[in-house]
Amino acid sequence: MTQPVIDHAAELAKAGAGVETRLSKAWFLMRSYPLGAIGLLLFFILVFCGVFADWLAPMDPVKTNADTSLALPGTIHVLGADVMGRDLLSRIIHGARISLAVGIGSTIFGCLLGVIIGLASGYLLGWFDLITQRIIDIMQALPLLVMALVMAAALGPSLENTIIAISIPLVPHVARVIRSNTLSLREMPFVEAAKAIGMSETRIAVKHVLPNTFAPLIVLATAQLGSAILTEASLSFLGLGIPEPHPSWGRMLSESAAEYVRTAPWLVIFPGIAISLAVFGANLLGDAVRDILDPRQRS
Amino acid sequence: MASYIIRRTLLMVVTLIGLSIVIFAMLRLVPGNIADILFDAAGFIDPAEKAQLEEELGLADPIPVQYWNWIVGLLQGDLGFSYVSELPTIDEIAPRLPITAKLAVLALFFSVIFGLPLGVISAVNQNSKLDYFLRVISLSGLSLPSFWLALLILMAFVSWFGSMPIYTNPPDNLWDELLLYSVPAAAVGFRSSALIMRLTRSSMLEVLRQDYIRTAKAKGASDNSVNYGHALSNAVLPVITIIGIEAAFLIGGLIVTETVFNIPGVARFLVEAIQWRDYPIVQNLVMFIGLVVVVTNFLVDLLYVALDPRIKYE
Amino acid sequence: MQPKTWLAGLALAATLAVPVYAAAQQAGGTLRAYHRGNPPSGSIHEEATYDTTRPYMGVFNNLVMFDQTKDMESLDTVVADLATSWSWDSSKTKITFQLQKGVKWHDGKPFTAKDVQCTWDLLQGKGKAKLRKNPRKIWYWNLKETTADNDHQVTFHLNQPQPSFLALLASGYSPVYPCHVAPATMRTNPIGTGPFKFVELKQNESIKFVKNPDYWKKGKPYLDGQEFTIVKSRSTRVLGFVADKFDMTHPNDITIPLLKDVKEQNPAAVCYTYPTNISYNIIVNREQAPFDNPDVRLAMSYAMDRDAFIKILMNGEGAKGGVMLPPPNGVWGMPPDVLAKTPGYGDKTADIKKGQELMKKAGFGPDNRLSAVVSTRNVATYRDPAVILIDQLKAIYIDAELKTIENSNWHATVAKKDYQIGMNLTGLAVDDPDVALFENYACGSQRNYTGYCNKDLQALFEKQSSMSDVEARKKLVWEIDAKLQADVARPMIAHYNAATCLQPRVQGFVRKRNGSYSDWRMENVWLKQ
Repeated sequence: MTQPVIDHAAELAKAGAGVETRLSKAWFLMRSYPLGAIGLLLFFILVFCGVFADWLAPMDPVKTNADTSLALPGTIHVLGADVMGRDLLSRIIHGARISLAVGIGSTIFGCLLGVIIGLASGYLLGWFDLITQRIIDIMQALPLLVMALVMAAALGPSLENTIIAISIPLVPHVARVIRSNTLSLREMPFVEAAKAIGMSETRIAVKHVLPNTFAPLIVLATAQLGSAILTEASLSFLGLGIPEPHPSWGRMLSESAAEYVRTAPWLVIFPGIAISLAVFGANLLGDAVRDILDPRQRS
Repeated sequence: MASYIIRRTLLMVVTLIGLSIVIFAMLRLVPGNIADILFDAAGFIDPAEKAQLEEELGLADPIPVQYWNWIVGLLQGDLGFSYVSELPTIDEIAPRLPITAKLAVLALFFSVIFGLPLGVISAVNQNSKLDYFLRVISLSGLSLPSFWLALLILMAFVSWFGSMPIYTNPPDNLWDELLLYSVPAAAVGFRSSALIMRLTRSSMLEVLRQDYIRTAKAKGASDNSVNYGHALSNAVLPVITIIGIEAAFLIGGLIVTETVFNIPGVARFLVEAIQWRDYPIVQNLVMFIGLVVVVTNFLVDLLYVALDPRIKYE
Repeated sequence: MQPKTWLAGLALAATLAVPVYAAAQQAGGTLRAYHRGNPPSGSIHEEATYDTTRPYMGVFNNLVMFDQTKDMESLDTVVADLATSWSWDSSKTKITFQLQKGVKWHDGKPFTAKDVQCTWDLLQGKGKAKLRKNPRKIWYWNLKETTADNDHQVTFHLNQPQPSFLALLASGYSPVYPCHVAPATMRTNPIGTGPFKFVELKQNESIKFVKNPDYWKKGKPYLDGQEFTIVKSRSTRVLGFVADKFDMTHPNDITIPLLKDVKEQNPAAVCYTYPTNISYNIIVNREQAPFDNPDVRLAMSYAMDRDAFIKILMNGEGAKGGVMLPPPNGVWGMPPDVLAKTPGYGDKTADIKKGQELMKKAGFGPDNRLSAVVSTRNVATYRDPAVILIDQLKAIYIDAELKTIENSNWHATVAKKDYQIGMNLTGLAVDDPDVALFENYACGSQRNYTGYCNKDLQALFEKQSSMSDVEARKKLVWEIDAKLQADVARPMIAHYNAATCLQPRVQGFVRKRNGSYSDWRMENVWLKQ
């Protein structure tokens, strides 16, 4: 079952030094993980669109035009135009920036907090664990969307607030998994061995326990990358999330666009494809990264 | 064991008290209250009439007094009155609970029944064509916005059958009920099943690489007995945690799905109540959801301990 | 056969046809409609939305009402309801109503003139009982008192003549309330004399009414009841209508861009695409610099491309106009030639030039652009026009950002003047200047959001109200309207058109062309089996 991985190590050993090594290593990884390569490509396109949106987009994404309201996809508007006559392709390209910000922003923020809390909690135990576990319990007792709704209502809809609203519910999710993993790990022989040779607690936690929690963390984080984009779409559907006129995919997909789903299906189809591909890519990439990063697979 | 359960029960009480403070405080931080909402429907705000209304509803009291009044009422089983309908809160919440409960159970059922076996199949056949296929399917389950999926389903129903499975009247019999709920439950459950499948796969792979599995194999145990006997029983551990968490997550998915399919359950009702700043409904409903989640987590933990001999009651 | 006898025969056939038509009305069946959200309460006097009048108007009767079989609301279409007849005194300041006898409230108590008196005392805040909210208090600025002369006669005493007072009473917003039921009860369990009795409201789920079997109008209503399913998501509820789950949509719920699809999917559907007498307009905070400068406000009015709004939001089917709905559907609106002279309604390119000049005069220009914020509700109906507005303001050097505000905070924000430019929608309860001018532009009115107050114009409001010569009054109303637009008091963008759709089996329903709040008695409606 793990055959290709073993090959991988052997091939690597054969490969030369310097730049060539890195290139061939990358090439090799792509050949070993074709799905991951596709994911990487999709993710790269997303990043590229997000970064260079101003140059890539053929039109101003917020420019309304009465004459092109609900224009069909064609030569002028490649993917058609929305009810306000705004060019859909341009909006989707600019939307990549927002989805990227929401996805990466909330994932990093949420995972960072979650890992710190989960690791400390699972390793230190004691009163710290007790208190954080209570806070986590309280947070987990509130469903994600409920918390996001209340927070979005309290903070007011904006990009930053949406990121916060989406990342906070991730914290207990990550913290719990990291903690339960840490709990298992601290019973492991190699941790006990480290203790026996007199390593400090913090050192053990960071050097031995933390790396071993990467696999589940990466799985969670990459799933979160996609699901953050999805959550933003749901928030928009419920009337929160990123406010108009910012071209957020979630908002483009929801509410008013859904009203025209039969008369102008492209309004729902193209942003829907954009979201699905971005999330799909993030997930494929995450799977591959997980397989590669897993320490036991590498050895 | 008994002392563990007592300790956990006490901790649950602490959690619920914490939750009550959090939700109470959060609601008061949200700008605007019911008086604003009620005046919104009248198209103006009259400061004197608004003050009068706040007085009437007890919103003019100091915040700690409001909290105390709520908790004392809650402990005595008095949940107060909905600000919007002016009916007892319990009469607003109770009839909606079974609807959401049925939907959630059905969705969870769908997700486990598909997610778990497919995850195992995928792990056992790692990197085979079947594995790739199943992974792509499960990934698409995680990639489609669930309300979008729900909308597409509705549209498909209208196009093909000229009818649609939305809730207009309470169903007459069990069969109708099952029919009515299974489409929205599938729409929500698709995502959950994909998640469970992925998790089952990755934790199966994790376990299959553990030393004791290698040992078992080296000792000549058959593939099947290793895969299903040793590996699955160990891999199920994180999966159970996720199922427990997913139960709470489901409520979120249900908010959107109940909106699209127009099902009058508590999930959508909660969102409405937040938007209407109907404090008695939101506070008590959140406490109820909190209770359910906390108890579920407790049960999950008990199961966790029972299944993993490495973890002791602490 | 002589031509004359032939004609007489035709006439006879025509008269005979009337009872034949009446006999064709079938009793029975429950009307199933969808509703877009929770009604804020069942007490019509406390609310200002058709979310309440649509379902609850059938519970009540008025003294007089707009003829439910005619498609216009005006002084000419006012007919008797609980009043059998009415007359003005010689000074035109007292109007006396004779009341229907033998009418009972849904709880069995008899209806008398005291109930009428109580209702208008309640509206004026005079009685012991108080309304929690009283959005139409301003309507009765001219009402001195209401007297019950005997059990079946009631008189309204006015300070000055006001022919349109009758139109106010005829609105769907003016039901007669029972004296013996507390206002709080009316919110949750309304009691009326009308064709339908309230059964229950399940929040976010349904509202139910059953036929009042003892309705004093014999033979009516034809329906056994009305049931409303509350559906929040517009795409879901429209699909529901297309799939024939509902007999009727919510008022004005089918936007023009959606209409095409509804007609394609359900060609038999009967859709009334009429002006709603709801208008898009903007409110400008005239206390905050630089919007305290009339030039900046006027420049904004010049910059707004009203045709573009109408084209985008309503596929070109809305109407340009001032405060009052323009003809042919509106009774009081400025005719096109008068409107064309109003600033901002001329040639667009020239108008934008004028706007740019005004902005330059105020110290702004291509290199010194004005940053501003457009606030609006976080609802698509409000957000969409706000986005268009922001785009159009760029032409006159204004870079505006959109700020969306939750419904719960909208009026608080407006009341605190915590905005610069606001995108707003205004619905008119009755197509009458006495409603439009006093509610929205009179000094001190609660719904005059910008606090616009012009004493000279106020005097003209009162003058037009007292005029009985309709043509002369119209001229004055146009003059006032033009002045309000030039003052950029609450500049109009467009009058909103939308459709209300019914399945073809729903008969006897007539939608008004110039209002959205007075069509819903439903006593003439029946279902073809």
